[in-house]
Amino acid sequence: MVTGSLFFQSLVLGILLGGLYALLAAGLTLYFGVMRVVMIAHAAFLVLAAYLAWDVHQRFGIDPLLSLIVTVPLFFLAGVGFQRLLISRLRPATVTMMSVLLTFAVALVIEGMLGFVYSGTQRRVQLSYSAASIQVFGAQVAVVKLIAFGLAALSLLALFLLLTRSRFGQALRATIQHPQAARLIGIDTDKVAGYGFGLGLATAAVGGAALSLDSTIYPSLHWHWIGPLMAIIVVGGLGSIPGAAIAAMVLGIMQSLLQLPMGTTWAQTVFYLALFATLLVRPQGFFGGRLAQRF
Amino acid sequence: MLSFPLWSPNPYILSAGIVVLSYAVLSTSWNFVGGFTGYMSLGHAAWFGLGAYGTALLIARAGVPSFLALGLAGVIVAVLAVPIGIAALRVRGASFVIVSIALVLVLLLVFQSWRDFTGGSDGLTVPRPFPDLLRPQHHAVFFYLFAALLGLALLAWWTIDRSRFGLGLKAIREDEDKAQSLGVPTFAYKLVAFVVSATFTALGGGMYALWFGDLDPIFQFSILIGSYMVLMALLGGVRHLFGPLLGALVVGTAIEYFKVSYGDTQFHLVATGLLLAVVVLFMPDGVIPAVAGLVARFRPQQGSIREETAAELLERDRSSASPPTQRQNRAEVRR
Repeated sequence: MVTGSLFFQSLVLGILLGGLYALLAAGLTLYFGVMRVVMIAHAAFLVLAAYLAWDVHQRFGIDPLLSLIVTVPLFFLAGVGFQRLLISRLRPATVTMMSVLLTFAVALVIEGMLGFVYSGTQRRVQLSYSAASIQVFGAQVAVVKLIAFGLAALSLLALFLLLTRSRFGQALRATIQHPQAARLIGIDTDKVAGYGFGLGLATAAVGGAALSLDSTIYPSLHWHWIGPLMAIIVVGGLGSIPGAAIAAMVLGIMQSLLQLPMGTTWAQTVFYLALFATLLVRPQGFFGGRLAQRF
Repeated sequence: MLSFPLWSPNPYILSAGIVVLSYAVLSTSWNFVGGFTGYMSLGHAAWFGLGAYGTALLIARAGVPSFLALGLAGVIVAVLAVPIGIAALRVRGASFVIVSIALVLVLLLVFQSWRDFTGGSDGLTVPRPFPDLLRPQHHAVFFYLFAALLGLALLAWWTIDRSRFGLGLKAIREDEDKAQSLGVPTFAYKLVAFVVSATFTALGGGMYALWFGDLDPIFQFSILIGSYMVLMALLGGVRHLFGPLLGALVVGTAIEYFKVSYGDTQFHLVATGLLLAVVVLFMPDGVIPAVAGLVARFRPQQGSIREETAAELLERDRSSASPPTQRQNRAEVRR
């Protein structure tokens, strides 16, 4: 029987989960905005970061969150390199399509390497506060979920401030809106695109650390994430960061609420149902521009 | 090549040959959409899995004779592909790829969760169509069955390639908006190609079910199988009749070899990924253009509206446009 408090509990958990989805979907939207690239490997990098966090904890016994000090700059540089060395080599006319295949290939390589190095065994970080939970307005919420949400919220806020307040953010948004015009007014769009990519991957690093706190991780976990994330950015409208964030929140909450009557696995289908419904009703997504239909 | 079952050294090699042949069926089927229209579906494993499970379930649950079940599964998938195609083909490019991935992921979820109907992750045993055949004979029979299916798919592709319908599809590939403005019924054309492609893939899946006899959602609805189809077709060349077949021979053999050599590790994923990346980066048109001179004698004349792709044209325009502007700039600087 679904009681009111159980419902509320699911709602809170859904909001916490939605925050993490929002952060990761924002990264995906960023790639699409700056380079028209659909980054299938995003979730693979997420799992890679989670593994690094697990490894750091296992090896040195320090908190997985501290791995962020290393992984965030590392992933940023990897993103810049990824854009410069691989994506920019693709032919301009087919970049969208080919980048999907290229990032897909990268995802396979990462998954394979993770399996190779860490084996397929499921891993989990055991922390002193793993089992702790606190009362939030009468709902039992695990501390690790709160930390993950806080991390996601902080990063999203930082991303938002960076995009709206800094000169680099202006240049990035200009590049997203109209690359040619941005070049005309003297923005080095290639450089900006590279940094945009770096920022996107940095969000995956944060997400990975958050993920490692309360999930069991295994190499093929990224397929579990990439579907919902892809659905979110299509529903939100490709290229729109607010759209992605709103869609992430709404779908995250719906998934969490549907787990009560349907169970975990079937609740996952809500993302795909939303995706196909969006295509039938409004192919360009519910927010943002008309980009989605074209690319 | 057709004599392979006669000289193949042992049943294992023969079964590997069948796997490669089934890959050839799949990537040729994929090429109805990927090659003609340029819509890259990474989720064609959805049709493969539906064909396999459709066939298996019809036999196991409804008692339909094996090959009738295969045909029926093909029809069912064709019918299913219509509404899914209508939804998926409303978007282009990357969004379409996302939708295709989503399709295979959601089917994987459904077939894993719906235990009492599909057997879930315990798998599903398919009754063998020829119960009194010994294993090597069973393999040999299926080698020819797969070869026949491949022949049918190639014939269909060749026919479309030379038809007005095929011309319309290629126009969509080069520039969908212009094709539409020239009066090509783009949506209907895309949908027909999509359904044909799905049906052939499903027949390949059904045949696989009959041959292999054991299904598991993880393998039937695998993104990896979908990516193999793309990789094979791209490597061989999506514009050519025998491109996917050639790709399947190269990649399929490599995959089988990797599985034997590095079976326990995830290394075959790395190998597949690296190969895909190399193909995408360095030869997106496939190897056939590289050896086109040799192959040209064996394949029919292309019915393409032009031999160059829109991308190549654009690039040539750019490269021919850029030197003068540089010279102009220098001249201005000198002044």
